[in-house]
Amino acid sequence: MTIVRTDEPGSDLALMADFAARREHAAGVLYDRFASRIYGLGVVMLGNHQAAQDLVQDTFVKLWRSANRYDPQRGRLETWVLLTARSLAIDALRRRVLESRSLQLVGVQREEDPEPLPDEQAAVVDLSARARRAMGVLSPEQRSALELAYFGGRTTAEVAALEGIPQGTVKTRIRSALLRLRAEMAKESGR
Amino acid sequence: MTCDEVRDLLPEHLLGTLEGPEDLEVRRHLRGCAACRDERMKLEEGVSALSRAVHDQEPPSELRGRVLATLGEEWEETGRVPTTSVPSREAGRERWRWRAFAVAAALILVVGSIAFGFDQRHRASLATTDARSYRNLLVALGGKDFRIGELRPAEGSTMRGQVLIYDGDPSGDWSSWAIVFAKVPGYTGSATATLLSPVGESRALPAIEFEEGDGKTWLVTYADLTRFDSLAVTSPTGQVLATAAIEHA
Repeated sequence: MTIVRTDEPGSDLALMADFAARREHAAGVLYDRFASRIYGLGVVMLGNHQAAQDLVQDTFVKLWRSANRYDPQRGRLETWVLLTARSLAIDALRRRVLESRSLQLVGVQREEDPEPLPDEQAAVVDLSARARRAMGVLSPEQRSALELAYFGGRTTAEVAALEGIPQGTVKTRIRSALLRLRAEMAKESGR
Repeated sequence: MTCDEVRDLLPEHLLGTLEGPEDLEVRRHLRGCAACRDERMKLEEGVSALSRAVHDQEPPSELRGRVLATLGEEWEETGRVPTTSVPSREAGRERWRWRAFAVAAALILVVGSIAFGFDQRHRASLATTDARSYRNLLVALGGKDFRIGELRPAEGSTMRGQVLIYDGDPSGDWSSWAIVFAKVPGYTGSATATLLSPVGESRALPAIEFEEGDGKTWLVTYADLTRFDSLAVTSPTGQVLATAAIEHA
């Protein structure tokens, strides 16, 4: 049995090879490494815990189906996993919008998502507070561009149109926002 | 594309919103430019920092079992008996049936491995004997047909082997199997076995991993395999190593 639990690209490649070969320990390692961030992404983007759990499940199935295509030369495993999850979350949001529109067209009231339980509401509030703190180091312009691109999956052209600014400015804001977050996290971990 | 142009596009490349041709150009540039790869790494660390700070939340403990069970079901459906059982909410009623198939498949794999590992001069008679014993076993489980084929080496290859197909009955919810044993003396590596139909359809089995010359793979599926009447084994570079015509046992 291969035991892999580091962030080295070579190890990630071996981990994904094991996952592609249906080795359960690899699935467990991947889950333990990434489930909490996929789940949190689901809570932030989809707004309820059931949808967030579905997002975790769907993400792992999609990761397995595409595991053979993982190439560390193209980027970190972490980024690949997060963007896969984000893309599925965006699909889910679009489905909601389409469903809502088609129900409106035929005059049917959309069944609302179940009301979150008090502890779920507290967790969402806590996450939102953390998000505000973390994003607080960014300027409002940087934050807005990054939120639209990262959580909204918007292209640079779309962000530029929404914000009414040139595309070059959007690129600069997203780039500087990511570098700023990196620097802040490095500072925090050095404390 | 220059370094400045690539760095301009890196955030979009990283966030997956860059369109195809430009994304390819960026990737091509990154392969040959350490400075731009370093820049990409810094931005990736920014994404990582964002995800840790903004959306890192422990999911309910039961979700782990649910996700692993879902993957187990996915793996069963695409052809591999799981090495360990995984809990499943949905699969309970089917579990006894799956276990019966798993036991039968394991028996066939063990018997087939031993038989195939025997003196190759007796291959033909062994194949017939195997087929009869497999058929007896599988008839007890139900299903439509049992077919067999002998792998014959392509030019320049020494691969020998056997393919066994059990055609289940999808209407009765019985799965179908395809099992391939292959032997290439001294070879360690992988190969791909693909089922082929007369009209050009194909269905790949999971990769064959060879250890000291012996390899095997199998597929368990609810799909109809009756239309496949031949099999080809190819190397990782796509070279055909062996083929088999599949006939009724």
